[in-house]
Amino acid sequence: MIALLLVPALLLLVIVFVGPLFRYAWLSFHADSVITGLIAVPNGGANWLRLVQDQRYWQDLFQTLRFAGVSVGLELVLALLIALLLDQRWRGRDVVRTLALIPWALPTTVMALGWRWIFNTPYGPIDHLTKSIGIGSLNILGDPNLTWMATVWADVWKTTPFAALILLAGLQTIPGDLYEAVRLEGGNAMICLQRITLPLLRPYILLALLFRLAQAFGVFDLIQVLTGGGPASSTESIALYAYWNALRFLDFGYSATIIMASFILISFICVLAWIALQFIIPTHSKSQGVVEP
Amino acid sequence: MSRNAFLRRLLGSIFAVFICSALFGLAQAKTIESVSILMAAPFADATQDLVQQFNNEHHGEIKLNVIRGPLETEAMSDLAISSLLLGKAPFDALLMDVTWLPKYAAAGWMEPLENYFQQGDVESLAKGAREGNSYNGHLYRWPLTSDMGLLYYRTDLMDQPPETPEELVLVSQSLQQNQKVNWGYVWQGRQYEGLSCVYLEMIDGFGGDWLETRSNQIGLNSTPGIEAAAWLQALIDQGVSPKAVTNYAEPEALQSFKVGDAAFMRNWPYAWAELQKKDSAVKGNVGITTMVAKPGHSTATLGSWGLTVLRGSSHIDASIEAIRFLTSDSAQKQLFQKYGYTPTKRSVIEDPELLEEFPILSEFGKALEVVKPRPQTPLYAQVSDVLQRQLSSILTGEKTAQIGMDVAASNTDQILISAGDRQ
Repeated sequence: MIALLLVPALLLLVIVFVGPLFRYAWLSFHADSVITGLIAVPNGGANWLRLVQDQRYWQDLFQTLRFAGVSVGLELVLALLIALLLDQRWRGRDVVRTLALIPWALPTTVMALGWRWIFNTPYGPIDHLTKSIGIGSLNILGDPNLTWMATVWADVWKTTPFAALILLAGLQTIPGDLYEAVRLEGGNAMICLQRITLPLLRPYILLALLFRLAQAFGVFDLIQVLTGGGPASSTESIALYAYWNALRFLDFGYSATIIMASFILISFICVLAWIALQFIIPTHSKSQGVVEP
Repeated sequence: MSRNAFLRRLLGSIFAVFICSALFGLAQAKTIESVSILMAAPFADATQDLVQQFNNEHHGEIKLNVIRGPLETEAMSDLAISSLLLGKAPFDALLMDVTWLPKYAAAGWMEPLENYFQQGDVESLAKGAREGNSYNGHLYRWPLTSDMGLLYYRTDLMDQPPETPEELVLVSQSLQQNQKVNWGYVWQGRQYEGLSCVYLEMIDGFGGDWLETRSNQIGLNSTPGIEAAAWLQALIDQGVSPKAVTNYAEPEALQSFKVGDAAFMRNWPYAWAELQKKDSAVKGNVGITTMVAKPGHSTATLGSWGLTVLRGSSHIDASIEAIRFLTSDSAQKQLFQKYGYTPTKRSVIEDPELLEEFPILSEFGKALEVVKPRPQTPLYAQVSDVLQRQLSSILTGEKTAQIGMDVAASNTDQILISAGDRQ
């Protein structure tokens, strides 16, 4: 009976997720473009061969991984600090909790347009700032070595609140008497963080990490609006490249190949991230012995 | 009468009225042809009055309905393509950009129009407006408004605009030295379609050709092709253009020119109306000319919008009727007077009354004489994309003009080979 109740959810999953995935897998072994008159013609592994030889794909992959790695790393550290701060009791905390969510609540395109003008040279405030403190005009969005950092910054600004929200929810599940116990044993705040907070928070950190990693790997709207993938394609992401192939070049076969390759990769990365996290933060059962000797 | 019986009767009569009106509506729907056209938001807004006029004139016969699409060209293209991919399009006609046409033709999405527009109709168009409407011998599109690249200059800073690339640099440098302006020339250097438009004007201006689609001759790494890229790069190196131009699209260039920071700007006709607004620091001090070039090679990139009928529409004749109305002389006049959309018909561009009211129209007309469409191939998006990438690398100093254009040429070659267009 209970299994029957799962049917609608399963059906939805099959329609919006499994179905398209199989379709893409099938399409990645076909030529389907404006040249074939938008008819799918089997072409063996030609798309995959092209992908392996496509320098642009590998460059985009590197850029996407760099973007995802740096921004998600920064976001998690900042989110942890913010969550710890918002978990303490202080006046005005509730107001700040609400305000902190605003960047996340803004539509990405709107905030990306905002950042485009903030980073604008020479009319944006950042340019005025760097000029007034003597660094000079940095031309952030016009320099291939700096632009990707601007995209990371805009992403960190927007999605840190989301990660902070998850971690804050996790913090509130930790019973206060555990901390009391550490204090009684003479442990300081650092020990509390290492032995209690981080181990107990681990499932939530993992959740935030996986959510954010998958999202950052598929980044599209932010980059499309902020830089359009430029300058010199230095910020182009995999998703942007797949989109260009599908909707601009009308090359659906190759676009599907890019998407399939990304799907395999992101699954792999998420598993890796999960394993890595096991090593970085000790499990609760191990630390428990130390806290309660 | 019991309450129940009354309710029953009331419901019954409401139902009867409902059925009757539904039947009446059905009968009406059969006689009135409804035509829907998808347009980008600015065009949908600008044509509101015209649509009203059309519907008044054709009351009881045709009901024209304009679907308001997104604001930006790229977003419009996405919407149109997504709807067309679903098979039967939810609209009869589409207002399309000039570069989409070969791709749409290859995909088989458009109805050929040569049986509806005769030779006389084509001859009524200005020379530049005749370009970019056909592909493989079929007419697919009827132009609503012309659009072409223009060089804007400050009439308060010079008597005559420069004609050659060298002159533009010299004039800019002397104005910058005398601290009249911060920058000489602002243009579109961001990695996007606008950069291809800027480059096309320069490669032709130096006497070259980007891609000749009949013979598939690629001119990107020919001498003029490299000269054009090197000239654009040197503008940044010499400080004639700001470094930030590598991220400029039209709005950024317009902003810089509008506040009086630059002596020259490359932009489309829409910028003229923007520069005449109250908040413009250069109002009344702006002139328009064609792009600088080697003598006799001045070129303006064609960027017009036109109406096309989609294959599978069941209202082709009514759609043609609507297209004829929206592109008529009086419609073009209205669109120009109110919204600054450049006309496509010779009779409107040369209209003495209109010229007296808007002397600038003659400059638009002159630029229309030297327009050139971007390479007309279904693979244009790919071809333009590889060019943008390499140009952006050159402008940001990642590559030299020679190396960048060599790569662009070989990438273009590969695209054409893989499409079977070239052995």
